[in-house]
Amino acid sequence: MPFLEVREIGKSFGGLQAVKNLSFTVEPGEILGIIGPNGAGKTTAFNMIAGFFPPDTGEVRFRGEKIAGLRPWDISRRRIARTFQLSKPFGDLTVLENVVVGAFQRHANRPDAQRKAEGVLALVGMTGRAGTEAHNLTVVDRKRLELARCLATEPELLLLDEVVAGATPAEAGEMMELIRRIRDMGITILMVEHVMRVIMGLSHRVLVLHHGETIALGEPKAVSRDPVVLKAYLGERYGKA
Amino acid sequence: MATQPGRSTRAAVPAIAAAFAFFALVPLFVSDDYYLHVLVHVLFFAYMASAWNVVCGYTGQLSLGHSALCGIGGYVSTLLFINTGLTPWVGMLVGAVAATGVGVLVGWPCFRLRGPYFALTTIAFAEILRIWTDNTEEIFGIELRGAQGLSVPLKGHVPALFQFDGKVPYFYIILAMLAGVMLVTWWMERSRMGYYLKAIRGDQDAAEALGVNSIRYLLSAMALSSFLTGLGGSFYAQFFRYVNPERIMGLDLSIEFALMGIVGGQGTVLGPVLGSFLLTPAGEITRATLGGRFPGLHLVIYGMVLILSMLFLPKGLIEPLRRLAGRKRVPAGRDEPAAA
Repeated sequence: MPFLEVREIGKSFGGLQAVKNLSFTVEPGEILGIIGPNGAGKTTAFNMIAGFFPPDTGEVRFRGEKIAGLRPWDISRRRIARTFQLSKPFGDLTVLENVVVGAFQRHANRPDAQRKAEGVLALVGMTGRAGTEAHNLTVVDRKRLELARCLATEPELLLLDEVVAGATPAEAGEMMELIRRIRDMGITILMVEHVMRVIMGLSHRVLVLHHGETIALGEPKAVSRDPVVLKAYLGERYGKA
Repeated sequence: MATQPGRSTRAAVPAIAAAFAFFALVPLFVSDDYYLHVLVHVLFFAYMASAWNVVCGYTGQLSLGHSALCGIGGYVSTLLFINTGLTPWVGMLVGAVAATGVGVLVGWPCFRLRGPYFALTTIAFAEILRIWTDNTEEIFGIELRGAQGLSVPLKGHVPALFQFDGKVPYFYIILAMLAGVMLVTWWMERSRMGYYLKAIRGDQDAAEALGVNSIRYLLSAMALSSFLTGLGGSFYAQFFRYVNPERIMGLDLSIEFALMGIVGGQGTVLGPVLGSFLLTPAGEITRATLGGRFPGLHLVIYGMVLILSMLFLPKGLIEPLRRLAGRKRVPAGRDEPAAA
């Protein structure tokens, strides 16, 4: 029984087929990276797994249980957490309060939830920001906060949607380090990313989407040498880098 | 740096307790019925704005139809008293439960949608209810008396029937109700529900992704707010011993509840109370001095107050007060390096 199994899911918006017959599995403990040009359907696939809308066709199974069509909060309760491509902090709450919201998922009373949140903030290196109102954070700190809120729900599967976008190379390096630490805690990660250095450096396997369809799936090195991928997506850019 | 969520309310507790103690002594010094009447008014609006705040302030949804819930509370308790002799002490609970049911029914379809649907629906619903009541003399053999309204049958000084000589008992009742609603809000703010409501206000998608069943929590807040508003409406009916659609379920009233919440500071325990202490006397004075010559002027003034408040104090009057008290959270500098 695969940990996460996505089987032939499809979604169209009006006349646009955003995702077509997408199938893949995620093994426990691995980092699976999804790449593809803008509009390839990465975020749509994320949204279907995370319950933001149901797929038109196909199904998603988590630990054998069908989860396609469940609402986001039900998915969250099954220990799947997601970040958003455009981070969505609760602006007028402090960083700590933001994380406490996530921690309430598994800790019904506030002192416990707060203790959990403080632990998570220490893990992501934001203890010094605990009292800051979230709207005062930098872009990178907002992403870190998203990650912290997710971790506070104690997920087994983490869906990361472009968490290093907008980061400087140094910050991206820190974020990679953090993602490795999260994986070492035993959390399985499915991530969408544009920054090749990050996706190639972190992923055990990489899935390449193009026009809503899978064009390659395999180890980073193999994928990056795949002529189909080079032609359809990476083109000259990655060849030079 | 350890932070205590809600510490500003905790630090304010002694001050609020002192204020209540002070108010409890007021009738010893103020014997003039007019001033007591105005004070009851101020406390009533503080109570209603606080009840409104439970759903609107904390979740960011805007209701401009809370007067309908107030009207349901007032009418149900009064009708029960007239027709069955049921004491309004029990009638007000029945009225509050009826208001809760209606509030949930209005919220149920709207909270599934994103956008201004809730605000629009509440206005439409309250106006329909008001116009219907205005034009309905009787229904199922129960006399509603349309626009004339209903008078509460006078029984003299019978505390068991919510009827008292003088204004002092009413003053204490509404003071206790205000203390109650503030306690409920305070408790809610610090509980999981309060955090979830504020998360929904901050970003509904993000809240849902963290496991918040937004529809359920929005409906819970709406139910609590409706119940409290229904209780308030019953008090209003007993205090004035008279209800009519215009006064107890008019759009004016809804706007007043919302305005006091917004101007005072939504999503805080003290904000709506502050809003009422400022705006109720101001409205009273405007109506008393200018109402005869310029009817409706108070509404123009409300509009202006709202615009000014949104421009200069979007978080309400409570915000500068908090800063004055030195309890404002210190926003960290944007360019300060992240703590490693």
